[in-house]
Order: sequence, then C-alpha cells, then structure tokens
Amino acid sequence: MTTYNFQRLKISSLTAGIIVLLLCFVFITPARAGQPAQETDKYCLSCHSDSNLSMTMPSGEKVSLFVSLDSIEHSVHGKLGMECEACHTNLSTFPHPQQNFQSRRDLSISLYQACQKCHADNYEKTKDSYHAKIAAEGNKNAAICTDCHGYHDIQVPDQPRSRISTTCSKCHAEIYNTYKESVHGSALINENNQDVPVCTDCHGVHNILDPRTANFRVQTPEMCARCHADKTLMDKYGLSTDVYSLYKTSWHGVDISVYKARWPTIWHDSAVCSDCHGTHNIFKTDDPRSEVNPKNLLQTCRKCHPDAGPNWTGAWTGHNKISLQRTPMLFYVDAFYSSFTPFILWICIIYVVLQIIHAIVDRFRSNLP
Amino acid sequence: MTDKKPQVQIQQERTYPRFDLGQRWEHGLLVISATVLMLTGLPQKFRDLSWSQYLLSTPHRLEIFQQIHHIAALVLILEALYHIGKAIYQLSKRKLSAEFFPTMQDVKDAGHMLQYLFFLRKDKPKYGKYNFEQKVTYWVVFLGFLLMIISGLIIWFPIFFTDYLPGGIIPAAKLMHSTEAMVATIFILIWHFYHVHIERLNLSIFTGRLSEKEMKVYHSREYERLNRKSSKEINKPGDRK
Repeated sequence: MTTYNFQRLKISSLTAGIIVLLLCFVFITPARAGQPAQETDKYCLSCHSDSNLSMTMPSGEKVSLFVSLDSIEHSVHGKLGMECEACHTNLSTFPHPQQNFQSRRDLSISLYQACQKCHADNYEKTKDSYHAKIAAEGNKNAAICTDCHGYHDIQVPDQPRSRISTTCSKCHAEIYNTYKESVHGSALINENNQDVPVCTDCHGVHNILDPRTANFRVQTPEMCARCHADKTLMDKYGLSTDVYSLYKTSWHGVDISVYKARWPTIWHDSAVCSDCHGTHNIFKTDDPRSEVNPKNLLQTCRKCHPDAGPNWTGAWTGHNKISLQRTPMLFYVDAFYSSFTPFILWICIIYVVLQIIHAIVDRFRSNLP
Repeated sequence: MTDKKPQVQIQQERTYPRFDLGQRWEHGLLVISATVLMLTGLPQKFRDLSWSQYLLSTPHRLEIFQQIHHIAALVLILEALYHIGKAIYQLSKRKLSAEFFPTMQDVKDAGHMLQYLFFLRKDKPKYGKYNFEQKVTYWVVFLGFLLMIISGLIIWFPIFFTDYLPGGIIPAAKLMHSTEAMVATIFILIWHFYHVHIERLNLSIFTGRLSEKEMKVYHSREYERLNRKSSKEINKPGDRK
C-alpha cells in the first residue's frame, strides 16, 4: 500500500515536473526574447550605471555619462531589445575611440544621425522642416530628433495625446501657455479630449514648416476645414460646418482660394481663419476672450480695415446662411433676385421665341402661292 | 429704264428725326461703358472659375481690371448724372417729353401683340414714337443701371457708406451688384439685341433718323399723327423738327 502510493507519488511528481518544465518554455522563452540585449547592455552598464560617471567637454560643460537601466528597459527601443551600439555606432569597443566634440550639443547633433538608420522616412521629412532650415543657417539649438523624442527613454510620442503639446512646449513655452487656455488646448489638457488639434495637427509632424509664409497662410482655411467641415465631428459639439463653405464664397475666401490656386507664394492680406479667430488663442465666439466675440469684433476688423466705423461689423454675415433674422437686407435682395432673375429671363426668351416663330410662319406663308 | 443711256436715279426718301445728337452720344457712352464694365466685371464675379483665372493670371492684372472697371463706372455715372440732370432741367422748363413714359396704351399694345403672336389677330398694334418693347428696354436698363451704380458705389466705398448706413448694406449690395449685372446682361443680349439687330436692323440710335417706310411699318400711329399735323405745313425731306 505504501509502496504503491510512493510509486504513484513518484509518477505524479515526474509528470508535474515535465508540465512545469513545458510551461517554463512557454512562458519564459518570450520573456527572454524580449531582452536579448541585456548581455551587451550589461557590458556597457558595468561602467555607465555609475551615476557619478561624467566627462568634461572642451566647452567646459560637464556631461553626465550615467545611463539608467530602468529608463532603457521602459523605452520603446528597450522593449524591442535594441542594443546600445545600435545608436552609439562608434562606441562598440572599450576603450572608446577618441571623440572630438566641442560641446554637449555638438555631441547630440552627431549622435542623432543614427536615427535615420531605421527611421529614414521621418528623417528625410525633417530635412524640409523649418527646424532643419535654421539649423542649416547655423542655429545649433534648432530641434533635432532627440530634442522631441528623447534618447534613452524614448516613449510613443502621442500617448497620451497631450504629450505632443508638452513636447513642443519645451522650446515654445509661451505659445503653449496661450494654447492651453484656448478652446482646443483646454479641452485637451483638462478634459483629455481626443478630437481637438494638438500642435502637430496644424503644424505637421516631421516636416514642420514656417507658419508665417504666404504658402502656409493660403492653406489655413483647408487646414481648419479638416475638422470644421467634418459633419460628424462638428455635430458632436453642436458646431456648424457651413463656416467653411460660406467662407469659400465670401470676399475673403474667394480671394484666398484664387491666391492658393494661382499665386500661393505671393502674400495676400485677405483674411484667413486665424486672422479673425486667432491662432493659438482661439476661444468660443461667445467667450469674451475671443477675438470674434461681438465685443471685440470691430477691433478685429480694424486690424485690416482701420477706418471702419461701428456699423461695419454689421457687414459681416458671420458664416451664417442668408436669413431674415440675421441678415434682413441680404435676405430681401436674395428673395427679390431669386424670382426676378428667372422671371426676366423667361419673359425675354418666350417673347423673342414667339416673335421668331411668327416671323418664320409669315415667311413660309408668303412663299406659298 | 428702257433708255440705254446711263441714268443716275436719285431716290429721295423722307426721313423722320428720332434721336437728337445728345441722345445718340448718350447711347454711345452707355454702350462703351457698359460693355467695358461687363467684360471687366464678369471675370471678377467668376474668379473661382478657370477661364477667369486665365484672364486674371496675376495680382497685377486683377488690379488693372479693377481700375478699368472703376474708370468705366465713372463714365457711366457721369452719363447717368447728365441724363437725369437733363431730364430735371427739361422738367423745370416744362419741356420734358412724355413720350417715353409707360401708359395704358402700352398695356393694350402688349395684349394686342400677344394676340398677334399667338395668331389670334392678323394685324400688329399701331405704335407711337416708342413702342412698349422700347419702353420696357429703356426702363429696365434705366432702373437696372441705377441699381448697379448705387450698389457698385457701396462696394467701392464700403467704409464711407457704413458710416451712415447699417453694415448689412454691404453684403446686400455685393449680391445685388453681381446678380443685377447678370440680369442686365441677359436682358440686353436677348431682348434688346433681338429687337434692334435680328427683328430688323434699327440703326436710328446712331443715325438719329427713321425712314418713311420704317415709320409706316413700325410707328404707324406716330407717322399718322405727324402727317395729319404736317398736311398743311410742308415738311421737307430730311427736315429736323
């Protein structure tokens, strides 16, 4: 009885052992595959995990050479198991080869070139950007990949979405402070709204252009229309999508669309969305801070029409369709011509056609014997 | 004609004065200014279409078009001021001709003409100096151009006008200017051009005179009236009244 039990125990413990072993293969294998780089990382970190490790650049800057294992492990690259030398291509051996950088910034500018090995598309796009342009003009502070994305602790750039605006704010703090108060920014930051535009929605991501050019200016209405002409999106917030279609038919809008089509590089003063609504400081129209709030509207018009009197704002139909309540004069003119034009056209045509028919019949009759 | 000798036959036709020199000049100015206004205005109205953008291919050209439009507008405005001023002067001297005002006779004539056009009557109405078609032309053009001038000035000087008038006048004037332009153009091209070019070539606005034949056929009531009056006093051919 005892022997029998012992035998069964032996068999069952063996079976359990095999199962545990199999489970180990199932569970442990992917876990190990996730961090195969730990071997080389460990090699580098044997020195660089020392938080006091640093070097002094010729410029006098003291650069810390400490690398936190934790931040590497939690970065997008760490999770993929990338090794140090994937980016630090020239530092694969110890002792390291001699480096000749004058400053920490020079070092960063040299190191970020490694990004294009994997991210060639985005790297190429940045070459068209305003950041690249001023970098080429000699501004070393112009943003490079690592300024926005970070380096050892790179995270998914738009998670959460507000991370994008925070990233830009590192250099463009003043604009960020304006933006975070605006209808878009406050919804993003306070309500975690996923619909509102963040910096990159308007300015682009890698090929960020100078927003002060004529070219950018004439693109503005279409840019805003990406959301404001989207019926499903606007219905969610009770906003009208007529704003864009009616703007397109207005004096300002026709001017701008012609310039966009024919002369996009020639500056034109006709108002685009941002001239009246603001750029980073956009508020709801009933917000007293809004530049198009009835209280501020005249002041806004006067930016381009300095001599305009108080009645001037009445000329503005406010992106609204013709209606008796809002635009009575326009309503009556429209009502008159929508019946008078076809009336006069048909009277002319019918009367003239009748006369022609009569003349033809007369001629035909006179030719008869 | 049986004679073999070459013979010059002088055919003398009696003509009747219709428009004086001033009126002919007015019409000339109107034709030139309105044509220029239309040709420079239509590309501006249809700026979103490619043919317009072909014409207004640079901002500079757009500016030139607008300047020409404004110069032609000034010519038209001066012409309109002269026309109205002359009418007021004549009215003050009790010399204003009543011939171009619409009367009940014109309504009857229009009814008569419609019956004729539907083959319900064999005869055309007997017209006076100006028939109802011509009166319609005059008044549609007169009122249309008045609206064009007023709305045009409002959108030319919007800031000045909104100092005195509500702002809503500007989009209203803009819509009126661009729509009335189409109405006037369509009207002149169909109604006026048919009557003076296709129905018959009526050049009296340039020559100032109508032939006796034209008077008999198209203005018979006026012809009869004149001849009743001149049956005693002899009216020489080519005489001006």
